Amino acid sequence: MKQVPMVTELPWDAKTGTLKRELSEGMMNPACKHALEAALRLKHEHKGHITAITMGPPMAEEILREAIAMGVDRCLMLSDKKMAGADTLVTSYTLARAIEIFCADFDLILCGCHTSDSETAQVGPQLAEELDIPGIAYVEDVQINSRIITIKRLSDNFLETLEMDMPGLITLTTRNYAPRYTPIAGLQDAFDEPNILVVSADDLGLDEAFIGISGSPTMILDVYSPTAQKKNIVMQGTPKKIVEELLERFDDRIGSVIRKDLKVEK
Amino acid sequence: MPELNRQYHEGVKIEVDFNPCMKHKLVRKTVREFAEAELGPIAHEIDAEARFPLEVIEKMRPLNFFGLQVPRRFGGADIDSISYAITIEEISRVSGAVGLCVTVHNSVGVFPILKFATEEQKQRFIPKLASGEHIGAFCLTEANAGSDASGVETHAVLDGNGYIINGTKIFVTNGGICSIPLIFAIADPGKPSASASVFIVEKHMPGFSVGEIEDLCGMRANPVSSLFLEDCRVPEENLLGKVGDGMKIGFAALDTGRIGIGAQAVGIAQAAFEASVKYSRERQQFSKPISSFQSVQNILADMATQIDASRLLVYRVCALKDSGKPFSKEASMAKLFCSSAASMITGQAVQIHGGYGYSKEYDVERYFRDAKVTEIYEGTSEIQRMVISRNVLAEPM
Repeated sequence: MKQVPMVTELPWDAKTGTLKRELSEGMMNPACKHALEAALRLKHEHKGHITAITMGPPMAEEILREAIAMGVDRCLMLSDKKMAGADTLVTSYTLARAIEIFCADFDLILCGCHTSDSETAQVGPQLAEELDIPGIAYVEDVQINSRIITIKRLSDNFLETLEMDMPGLITLTTRNYAPRYTPIAGLQDAFDEPNILVVSADDLGLDEAFIGISGSPTMILDVYSPTAQKKNIVMQGTPKKIVEELLERFDDRIGSVIRKDLKVEK
Repeated sequence: MPELNRQYHEGVKIEVDFNPCMKHKLVRKTVREFAEAELGPIAHEIDAEARFPLEVIEKMRPLNFFGLQVPRRFGGADIDSISYAITIEEISRVSGAVGLCVTVHNSVGVFPILKFATEEQKQRFIPKLASGEHIGAFCLTEANAGSDASGVETHAVLDGNGYIINGTKIFVTNGGICSIPLIFAIADPGKPSASASVFIVEKHMPGFSVGEIEDLCGMRANPVSSLFLEDCRVPEENLLGKVGDGMKIGFAALDTGRIGIGAQAVGIAQAAFEASVKYSRERQQFSKPISSFQSVQNILADMATQIDASRLLVYRVCALKDSGKPFSKEASMAKLFCSSAASMITGQAVQIHGGYGYSKEYDVERYFRDAKVTEIYEGTSEIQRMVISRNVLAEPM
């Protein structure tokens, strides 16, 4: 699970184009909370043991405490300056190594399908690859019967039912599994006896070169608020000329979106 | 500040952390999420219809809202007092009337039993109160008694192994839904103060009945009512403490209750403030948002300052209570300040909203009506000043 900024407040640094995370209040990513709810219902039905895992700065501990209050059994907190600035690939890599060490006998990994602050939806599926287990994204319903995981998901306009063996990984949408309210007694428990293990890069035996910003191949060139504009353009000339001009305009528009001049690259 | 000076002279380092800790932040988020989702959509309607929202109360029961500071062995959440205050503040921010139900139940309804009951009585009453199956109430006020507790006319006469109680209690918060009200009665009309006693009355007892729900200015979703006791026979084992303990129990209960009312006032004021900030940014006059006018800015600044000071006073008394120190004066200070600030702030919120603020279409008029009573119940502002001045004058110079 991931801590994301509260949806109601996104303090934005216009100069650097980044989110001022230190100023914003955090919360559990909504899709992760739905995944947690699914996990709690599975636990209620089949017994079992839930470990909540997050990677993030020390303040992310708050969502783990919340998870304990809601009913998870223990938490892993991957927190280390060396892990900072990780892209989705390195995040999946780091999570996979922690799971191999601390949750080696897991049956099912439940992730939120995407986060409200970056929306890549990559960490879950990449994590399944890293662990070399089957993975299904955008799950809306999950049932377990004699070690077979049966899921339902909306795919285009039809509902798919898929089965996979344990151990597996699923990522959940926010359509079902509305999260339960946290009981006040649970909150007190989460601070009286927090079962949170803080794990560093050294604990995982990870080389700094493969984690955090130094291990991340993704380069963020620019982050900005999108603006919507509508404009009518009338193009004139022969059809061939219009098509050529149109393609050029597409290139220009795409180039301005990713802030790179595609023509130069050609 | 004699207390502070003494500590300073003894070389004790005083550390005050004004940042909310992670637990308190999480309590606030959790309760706010619940209140906004469950009470937000109906807060206006339950006020207009004077309807107690049992369907929401049902959802609050398993979340420990009715056993906030009750020990675990009785099924409570056993949270600290600041968490308690935050909980009441956040419910009241959305619905003052439901916040009132919760704080009155937890503080003056349950706390006296926790503090003064025998183990056997606790076993009997606390678990069902903590689960919210039973709702508590505290019944002191009568037609001729309120600020002056010695004016209580309800009397209890010893009869074999029980008491026969006769009298009428008025303005009982939670009156219409309470199942275990604490009734103040005098055992000897000649010595009302010395014979004041508290009885744990059960709703099913013959002779106990509930009057009409009061038609009040604010807090309309709370079923405030009269309670009648007509030859109501209460067994001896339902006497809380001893005969004559009434004043002691009452004052202890009220000290605790005042923390909750302070927190409630903060919640109502906060709601009025947020509505005012939002409205003043949106409302255009003279081609500008009214928030660009200094006269409106000044009001918003005063509101924010008063709320901040109110909240800190509430947290201070909570910290004192949890450290086991006396907190009577500080509870009265917090209650006095928060309630008068809430009254002022909600009035200002109506002013900022202009004609719309005076309309039932907007929530600020509800905040305005709800805030007023925080200056009246759980001891009027005049009584708070009496408690504070008594303490101040008794302190060494």
